[in-house]
Amino acid sequence: MELSNADGRGGSALSMPIAETLVRWNSRGEMEPVLAVAWQHDPDYKRWRFSLRPKVTFHDGEALTGASAAPALLAALKPKYSDVSIETGGQAVEVKAEHPMPDLLDVLALPGAAIFRKSDANALIGTGPFRVTASEPGRHLTLASFDDYWGGRPYLDAVAIEFGTGRGHADLFDIPVGPARRILPEGLATWSSAPRTLVAITASNADPALLQALALAIDRGPIGNVLAQHNGEAAFALLPHWLSGYAFLFQSTPDVPRAKQMVSQLRRAPLSLSYPANDLFLRSVAERVALNARDAGIAIQPMPGGNGNLRLVEFPLESEDAAHELLRIAPQSNPPDLTRAESLYQLERTLLDEHRIIPLVHLRETYGIAPRVHFQKPGADLFELHLEDAWVDQRAAP
Amino acid sequence: MSFRTKVFLSITATVVLAVWVVAAVVSTLVSQSFERRDDQRTATAVGQVQREIGRRGAEVARRVEAVAESEAVQRLAVNPGDTSQYFATAQTLAAEQSLDFLEVVGPDGAIISSAEWPARFGYKEDWLTQSADWNMQPAFLKKEDLSDGSALGLIAVRSVKAGDGMLYVAGGQRLDKEFLDSLQATDGVGLQIYRNFEPRESPGPAAVLVDDVRREPRELKRVTDAASITAIPLEGRDKQLLAILLVENSRTELVSLKRYIQGTAAAVGVAGVLLGLMLSFWTAARVTRPLRDLASSVRDVAVGKWDTRAKVWSSDEVGQLARVFNAMTEQLVEQRDRMIQAERVAAWRELARRLAHELKNPLFPLQITIENLQRSREMAPEQFDEVFRESTSTLLAELGHLKTIIGRFSDFAKMPAPELEPVDVNQVAREVIQLFEAQLRAPGRPPVETKLQLGADAGQVPADPDQLRRALRNLVLNALDAMPQGGALTVRTSRHDGKVALEVSDTGEGLTPEECDRLFTPYYTTKQHGTGLGLAIVQSVVSDHKGTITVQSEPGKGTTFRIELKVTM
Repeated sequence: MELSNADGRGGSALSMPIAETLVRWNSRGEMEPVLAVAWQHDPDYKRWRFSLRPKVTFHDGEALTGASAAPALLAALKPKYSDVSIETGGQAVEVKAEHPMPDLLDVLALPGAAIFRKSDANALIGTGPFRVTASEPGRHLTLASFDDYWGGRPYLDAVAIEFGTGRGHADLFDIPVGPARRILPEGLATWSSAPRTLVAITASNADPALLQALALAIDRGPIGNVLAQHNGEAAFALLPHWLSGYAFLFQSTPDVPRAKQMVSQLRRAPLSLSYPANDLFLRSVAERVALNARDAGIAIQPMPGGNGNLRLVEFPLESEDAAHELLRIAPQSNPPDLTRAESLYQLERTLLDEHRIIPLVHLRETYGIAPRVHFQKPGADLFELHLEDAWVDQRAAP
Repeated sequence: MSFRTKVFLSITATVVLAVWVVAAVVSTLVSQSFERRDDQRTATAVGQVQREIGRRGAEVARRVEAVAESEAVQRLAVNPGDTSQYFATAQTLAAEQSLDFLEVVGPDGAIISSAEWPARFGYKEDWLTQSADWNMQPAFLKKEDLSDGSALGLIAVRSVKAGDGMLYVAGGQRLDKEFLDSLQATDGVGLQIYRNFEPRESPGPAAVLVDDVRREPRELKRVTDAASITAIPLEGRDKQLLAILLVENSRTELVSLKRYIQGTAAAVGVAGVLLGLMLSFWTAARVTRPLRDLASSVRDVAVGKWDTRAKVWSSDEVGQLARVFNAMTEQLVEQRDRMIQAERVAAWRELARRLAHELKNPLFPLQITIENLQRSREMAPEQFDEVFRESTSTLLAELGHLKTIIGRFSDFAKMPAPELEPVDVNQVAREVIQLFEAQLRAPGRPPVETKLQLGADAGQVPADPDQLRRALRNLVLNALDAMPQGGALTVRTSRHDGKVALEVSDTGEGLTPEECDRLFTPYYTTKQHGTGLGLAIVQSVVSDHKGTITVQSEPGKGTTFRIELKVTM
């Protein structure tokens, strides 16, 4: 199967596992085993013990053991738990630290905690259903099915992925956000993820009151409907509603008169809104924001690249862990306990009230799917499109 | 002011005035010519701009019609439901039709797609929905709002029926510097468009003109040294002033030409002044040289050169004057000669009379005595001897008298040349007065008071002391003779201006002016017993000493003789 990625945006919704984690969240929000079949911890969450799945081998044939998994695990955990240490013995892995690690499973479920090894010839040797056969960073990646995959060989024999090209003859291709969507041929099958990329304005050096007025002045609906061509949803919260469950509580409508009134009482400082150069969608968003701001009397100069005092930033979700994603969007030096939904809401409310970040739109990822490509469980997971569930009908025309 | 200066000023003033008048007239004519040319250029440029606006307006209208008939707009008109997918349509269509501005606007006036400001979708353009017959209207000027400011556009609008409503397609092109640059430029003419929604021009003639047109939108013109600027208001659909076309005609050529004229005039003026200077010299030389010659001749005549003749340079008035002068001097010479001859005759007559008188007096006693002596031969010898003695005594006395008379005349005839030596004038005065002291104090003599008023600074003069004493003595004698009843005799000396003055004054009866005129004529006397040689001798002495003698007298107030001798010869 050939796969293309036109603008490099997204791609996070496409699951083509090469390396796997010990655990993962399923679509029901439950933690389920992957490479670890069992785990337990002491009452203080300072010592965790995992039992690795037996008879799992890496793509190069080496068996998955505690010793072979430990380097990747240690590298993944060190950034969060500086005093972490790992002891291994056979298929057992023991993770220890001086401080409690109650959220260790959440961390281990993240893609960054995948278990992989490196060799001189291959930088990514995992245990997933696909193995890397050739790669040229930023241009293309070729995968082949891993026949000895512990979960069973995938349907696809090989996957060729081209980056930065048009659709061409690809069986699966990403549909960029924005006007390009309208040129799709009629009847084309598509798959859209749940909104999973937040586009927001972050402020590094601006009057919070001015930012509050700006937030009131922005009409988010047209950004999702027109600029994103219905490929996004107006965002009033940092986390999408499907992830947090409370985003509707932040919903509001533009209030330009009030914004004007607020601006009239402020010292007007010129603002610049920078966006990644060559990103047409974010450029159009920046210009729309500047237009809305002008209606409220706020002068904003869109600026490609550079360092504006306002920045247009994308925050793609990498997991279905709401707390983790919220902390990714707005890192906290001393994060509160976010295991409860109320505390998560309170943190987000606090963050939004500070007006350091103004959510604009949550974007979906959409892929066009050639008629000969089929998925075993289409629509079962709106977070990721699993390539290991896909197969190609060789009889159909490409 | 000399004649030369007057001639110079006259010529210079004439030349400068003439040059100034010519320069002013030429400058005015040139200015008028340039203004007519500027007006023609301005009219041409304005006509060109208006034609180009009209041509581009028609082209814009045609392109907007093409957009309105495009598949995308027609599809939108057929299915105007969800317009979000047409968000970028205007940009594509504008690029296809080379339009700078293009907006597709829905029936409600909301922008569906905007090429010039894509982010403005959804915003209202209500002015489009206020006219129902856009398809019949030509292109017009309009201010177009952009994300980075505003621009002046030549806009056409066409409408397309969409369900129950209308879709509007408004498109156009910029009217900016590139538009002006695309026009065929006229030499020396600059075109500029001031947009009425931009910050005002920097200070200058154009800015002032712009302000004037903004206050009162009409064609205005302003002329400066650098350029003449014409401002033509450009109005939009609703007659609002959107822009001002500034047509600037450079006046560099005119200014250069005026400067050239002024420079030439200045050069001609300077040349005129120089010419005036030369002409004045030449004219003055031609006119004043005869006059100066004439004046010199007059001065010569004044100093006694009676035979002087003025040169006749020309036959004009000056020449006639010279001829008249020459005739006059000839007549004067003739008259002088006649007078000299008459005076000589008179002098000889006077001399004869005086000689006859002087000689007759002693001759008569000689005759009587000789006749008496002849008769006495008849007398007794004793008586004869007595008569003979008396007669011979008388004869000797009278002969002595005759000798004296002849000696006086001889002395006058034989005045010796003075032998000069330093002589103290005061000393001479004292000696002469002392000489007369005894005579003045003689019994029976009328009282005469003598006064010596000798200046301490009189000093010495080069003179013959004997002759000077003689002259002074004669003057004193003359003064004493003038005061037969007594009076005052004053002798004064003084020194001034390099001369020493010696004055002798009496308080006698004085002289008439006619007597004064003849006073120094030899053998002229007002006295009964004078030879008339005393004052003539004085004048002769003074003349031999290169001095002067003058007399001041009024009848009844005495007479003063004044001798002036130079301190150095």
